[in-house]
Amino acid sequence: MFVFKNAWKSVIRNKGRNILIAIIVAIIAAAATIGLSIRQSANTARETGLENTSVTGQISVDRSKLINASSTSSSSSSGSQPDFSAIREALSDKELSLSDYQKYAKLSSVSSSYYTETTSLAETDSFQPVSTTSSSSSSSSSSSGSSDSNAQQPGGGMGGGMESTTSSGDFQLVGFSSDEAVKNASNGSFTMTSGEVFDYTTSSDKQVIISKSLADFNNLKVGSTITVASATDSSKTYSLKVVGIYKNTTESSTSTGGPGGGSTANDAANAIYTSVSTLKALGLDASSKVTTTDSSGNSTSSAAAQISYTYVFNDESSFKSFKTQAKKAGLSSDYTVSSADVEEYESSLIPLNNLSQFALTLLLIVLGVGAVVLIVLSLFNVRERKYEVGVLTAMGVKKSKVAAQFAIELLIVTMIGLGIGAVAGAATSVPVSNQLLASQVAQQESETSSQQAQFGRGAAGPGTSSGSSSSSSSSGSGTGSGTQAAAPTQGNGGGQFGAQAVDYVSSVNSTVSLSMVGQLILIGLGLTLLSALVGVIFVMRYEPLQILADRS
Amino acid sequence: MSSVTTDTANTQEEAQGKDAAPQQPVTLELKQVSYAYTKGGKKVLHDISYAFRSGAVYAITGPSGAGKTTLLSLISGLASPTDGQVLYQGKDLAKQNRYDFRSHDIGVIFQSFNLLPALTVSENIVLSMDASGKTFDAPKKKIAEELLSEVHLPAEYANERILHLSGGEQQRVAIARALSYDPEVIVADEPTGNLDLSTQNDIMDIFRNLAHDHNKCVIIVTHSPEVAQRSDEVFQLAPLRRRPAAKKKAATPKHHA
Repeated sequence: MFVFKNAWKSVIRNKGRNILIAIIVAIIAAAATIGLSIRQSANTARETGLENTSVTGQISVDRSKLINASSTSSSSSSGSQPDFSAIREALSDKELSLSDYQKYAKLSSVSSSYYTETTSLAETDSFQPVSTTSSSSSSSSSSSGSSDSNAQQPGGGMGGGMESTTSSGDFQLVGFSSDEAVKNASNGSFTMTSGEVFDYTTSSDKQVIISKSLADFNNLKVGSTITVASATDSSKTYSLKVVGIYKNTTESSTSTGGPGGGSTANDAANAIYTSVSTLKALGLDASSKVTTTDSSGNSTSSAAAQISYTYVFNDESSFKSFKTQAKKAGLSSDYTVSSADVEEYESSLIPLNNLSQFALTLLLIVLGVGAVVLIVLSLFNVRERKYEVGVLTAMGVKKSKVAAQFAIELLIVTMIGLGIGAVAGAATSVPVSNQLLASQVAQQESETSSQQAQFGRGAAGPGTSSGSSSSSSSSGSGTGSGTQAAAPTQGNGGGQFGAQAVDYVSSVNSTVSLSMVGQLILIGLGLTLLSALVGVIFVMRYEPLQILADRS
Repeated sequence: MSSVTTDTANTQEEAQGKDAAPQQPVTLELKQVSYAYTKGGKKVLHDISYAFRSGAVYAITGPSGAGKTTLLSLISGLASPTDGQVLYQGKDLAKQNRYDFRSHDIGVIFQSFNLLPALTVSENIVLSMDASGKTFDAPKKKIAEELLSEVHLPAEYANERILHLSGGEQQRVAIARALSYDPEVIVADEPTGNLDLSTQNDIMDIFRNLAHDHNKCVIIVTHSPEVAQRSDEVFQLAPLRRRPAAKKKAATPKHHA
């Protein structure tokens, strides 16, 4: 009691010095509050951002791993040239079949799943693709060069999630497994302008919906029948019934090829949507094989369509448990499980994470400097009050009590400073962290855009360039052995280089939580104890007799 | 033990002719006390033995350098003797909590007063009362005011800062502080050092009153012959330098112990 009373009186008595200390502590506390609140909002965003939203994920082949494996195993004899055929073989062997995908869909962490199968079709005289370039040239190139351009896919698609579905042919025929698959169509969402979407039973086989531009281009209406040819064999034709006409709401998600041309199948307008059961009925599904013959006469057999299988999870943690469950269920390490949603969300957090890192650094510096300042102040305080220590101890007040009194004085002052600083910090943390975040976002965006400027050929870019280069080389080396299906794109991923920028988290609504107040108090106590400790050591060293003798 | 006092207090004691002290119990006793500031260094005090009793005023005199202030430090428990013992009510001070001793049992009036300048008069006094941990039957502030009148200071001084007081007034405040928690022993270091004669007498009256009416043991370290004269007993410390030559004086307390 004596100690508390004295401490309080002493605090009141030495207003000037204590206000100074309180201001310093308040500044430290304000900076610490802002730092902590930034870190907390980053954590909250990370933890709760995907908590209640469903997440989709895909299984894909870890290509670089396979390529490395097969090239090292076979590189003994070949000098500079990698063993392409071995690599392709390794890749094609690893294609998962529909039943493989479905096996993993049954895992408990998966809430639902859907898939699309994509194949290509060629034009016929009566039904032609929407194209800006002359259709005749495009058709001739596609008919002659279809196998070539298929073969290029491994090269072009090596980088990962590019929009590299089977892009040969003139049309893209996409089979959907369910409404959910349609909703997540890789060309973006769409609305029906007339007619309605096919259903998925065999009874509605050969029903398709086509884009409005394609319908207009060919002057088609709901109920019309279209005739398309096989991409590999132009003599083989299929007739399909148009049951609906749709219009993409996100027009440009898949752009037409650049000036160079590329396949018209890449144009979203030339996508024909149907059910997977139609594909099966046409013999164009992934389990069917098509044989292609390339210009040098080599025949290759490959899957007619590519599967893009998507698993839907209730939340991010289910996605994570799916990863482990799939491993247990026998998914070899040659495959990776990825989620574009999670990745995109994580990349949207980059500025916030950077800021959080920055906040941590700030916090540590502030605390370090603050600790030093407080220690020095406390030291001066004790030295200045040496006489008081001498008098008190001579009067019979125990040194430990004097030390405790000094510590409590400091504690009172720091707690007042802490309170003021925390309030100030809490009041300013939202605008300050949003300001800081805005600059981080700006930095991140300029980084992305410069990266895009460097790589910025868009989705069609790589395809175009590889297309032209390989058509010149195909005659010689005969890419023909190429396993066509090489690019099992997980189409939903969207282009890594795609035009759409990540929607960065650009504001926080940091609220000062109870745990943060606790952390602040802990920090305050820590700083106070640290600096009080120095004072205590000094007090303990003082001998009253010495002090009083020095004085007189 | 009575012979110790008579022997040491020699001529002045006889002149005073007072012999009330021996009837009282011994409050504080020095037993063959020696003190050196540094270990193995020069001894400031050498083999001192003396007994202080309640109800008497003692004057410790001696030339400069005889170790008067050092002896006072030992008595007041600020230092421990290098050799020998200081006994308070028969118990060795070195074996008990000297902080408690200082805050409860002994009131020290330092030569330089050692009041806290930032505090007011009454705050200084109340601080000592708080530090003693004793309980008081009246509000501390009221007791402080009573003490001020006891040391002949007007009551309005209570809220005055120490810095605003003269040396003599500070002296009185220091006395009031030393008395505030009712200690058994009161020790004063040159309490009249720089005071005029009437103030000196006034303060000596206070001390005599404390000893004779309140049965305290008052020990005064002083240069002043007047103070010594007005004390009940005088304990003269011989200068240390002369001690080897005048062996008699050093031996006197020894053979009684």
